[in-house]
Amino acid sequence: MNRILLADDDVELTEMLSQYLAAEGFSVDAAHDGETALAKARHDVFDLVVLDVMMPRMNGFDVLRELRTHSLLPVLMLTARDEDVDSIVGLELGADDYLPKPCNPRVLVARIRAILRRAAGSHAGDTSSDPPQTLAFDDLEMQTGTRSVSCGGQPVALTSTEYAVLEVLLREAGHVVSKADLSERALGRKLTRYDRSLDMHVSSLRKKLGSLAGGEERIKTVRGVGYQYTRA
Amino acid sequence: MHRLFWKIFVSFWAALVLFAGATILTASHYLERARAEQGAASPRERLVRHAAEAQHIADQYGAAGLREWLRELDRREPIPFLLIDRAGTDLLGRTVSPAMLARLARDAERPRHMHGGPRLRAEIRLPDGSEYLLIPDFQGVTLGRVLDRPRVIALPLIVAAVVSGIVCFLLASYLTAPLGRLRRATEAYAAGDLSTRVAPTLGTRKDEVAELARSFDHMAQRLQELMTGQRQLLSDVSHELRSPLARLQVALGLARQRAEGRAGAELDRIEREVERLNDLIGQLLSLARLESGVTEPAQEVVDLAELLSRVAADADFEARARNRHVEVVKTMPATVHGDARLLQSALENIVRNAAHYTAEGTSVTLTLEADPQQLRIMVQDHGPGVPEEMLTRLFEPFVRVGDARDRASGGYGLGLAIAQKAIRLHGGDVSALNARGGGLLVSVRLPVEPRIAG
Repeated sequence: MNRILLADDDVELTEMLSQYLAAEGFSVDAAHDGETALAKARHDVFDLVVLDVMMPRMNGFDVLRELRTHSLLPVLMLTARDEDVDSIVGLELGADDYLPKPCNPRVLVARIRAILRRAAGSHAGDTSSDPPQTLAFDDLEMQTGTRSVSCGGQPVALTSTEYAVLEVLLREAGHVVSKADLSERALGRKLTRYDRSLDMHVSSLRKKLGSLAGGEERIKTVRGVGYQYTRA
Repeated sequence: MHRLFWKIFVSFWAALVLFAGATILTASHYLERARAEQGAASPRERLVRHAAEAQHIADQYGAAGLREWLRELDRREPIPFLLIDRAGTDLLGRTVSPAMLARLARDAERPRHMHGGPRLRAEIRLPDGSEYLLIPDFQGVTLGRVLDRPRVIALPLIVAAVVSGIVCFLLASYLTAPLGRLRRATEAYAAGDLSTRVAPTLGTRKDEVAELARSFDHMAQRLQELMTGQRQLLSDVSHELRSPLARLQVALGLARQRAEGRAGAELDRIEREVERLNDLIGQLLSLARLESGVTEPAQEVVDLAELLSRVAADADFEARARNRHVEVVKTMPATVHGDARLLQSALENIVRNAAHYTAEGTSVTLTLEADPQQLRIMVQDHGPGVPEEMLTRLFEPFVRVGDARDRASGGYGLGLAIAQKAIRLHGGDVSALNARGGGLLVSVRLPVEPRIAG
């Protein structure tokens, strides 16, 4: 059973949501402020954290920033609906996905499942049944068996979402992958309007991987179309 | 205290006094020099000297020489000296005033020295025997004559120009420098930097300009507080309205789980209404944000053609389910500077509105055109159109047109209002008219280089 940490200051909401998620087959623990959430995320074993931005004592961003210094635990951010910036900041800090609040609990469950599938490395429609592979381009190496990535011999810590995005791009290296396609294959959902998730994941991948020896970006943006992993 | 008033008053006064003083000083200096040059203090002495010289010239060179000497004298003497013959005409043909002629006639009848004082005139006799009178014509001393002598007027004029120029320059820069700072601060404020203040840049100044700067700072402070308050209010309203909605949604989810398929239609209905309420809150808040200007719109290059085709594709996808279509029939490469998200939501609201009212089986057509000044996007539906008198009110919030724009439409009458605000923020405008073939034609005009209005 997947263990989920629900961090939201709205006590009534978390109570109902815990019941809802329990009925969907998750084991849920709740935290009502940032500090408690961070402490629980550090000491207990959770498969995923649902993190609200607006929390007393320590807001969701700070919790995520702290958490990411030592953990790649999957995080789904709940952001204010009118604040696009929140979703961008959340993704920049390494959230796996975000959902504007208030949200339909069915959508929340679908997102949680998509992230958990990615984390388990067995998302639908992917090549998980294939034998473990090594995808190597220039100084970049991806082991699909151990889900590890190294760049210039140094291991690179990627969130499961970043890993999923990179895997799709590497499998299509040299070809342009449309955003819609990338969203379905890597995030496990359709591309929605104003969705900046992919852009943010790609941008953090660029930061973590660095550019090619010639100073060129590894992942090129093809305006209006999508992304492409370039070989030197 | 009218410190600036006194500054202006005193500087102008000082400049004028300096001007007058310099003029008087230089003029008297000139006169003294002229006197020294002439070697005689009074007109009488000069007359005597000129007369001796004239007689000497007359003896040696005759009438022609005398004429030339007289011309030369006229150039250096501020007072014109006339040389008049018995008939009363001047040797150089200069005008002799009737008053002087009358005086000469009168004098001729009286014996000399009758009045005691010697008269200011001298007799010159030519070798041919004709007699002339050399007379200073004091009435002929005109301003024009004085001005013709450059040193009399040029020097004081230059001194006055330099002195008053310096004073006025200092005064002008003293007055305008802080005004320039105020202007730049106002511009910065209008551009969105609400922390701009002027008074600290004016040092210890304590005049009207400094007071104006302090007033500006006070206003800036007030506005900043209002804006911050407004922003906070919007955020609080958003949060407070949405928290119960979020709980409602989860409660609904729980109800569904427990109902195990029962009351599905009712629960669907509740879910739809919750979504609607959520949308309405979102629209109200975006309208409030656009109207209050609390959020700074982004400034990026927006590919309008790409944006339009994306909006069309999304709307078409939704419309197909209801057997209606949305298509771009004419487009062209076009980019504008602005906020992509705002522009997209503006176009989306207009296109969705059109897709909603177009008749079943028809298409909403989108065109993108440009001329050197502006870009035009036309959205035409094939619906019932709108009564003429409602056309201008179409973009006001919550205005509905008859029964057609009722609740069943799913709209709240806010979409077009939001669209108009967003387009106007980009320096453009939007208008609606009934197309000839029926249906509503909404046209969006954007300047080719839109600058977001402050």
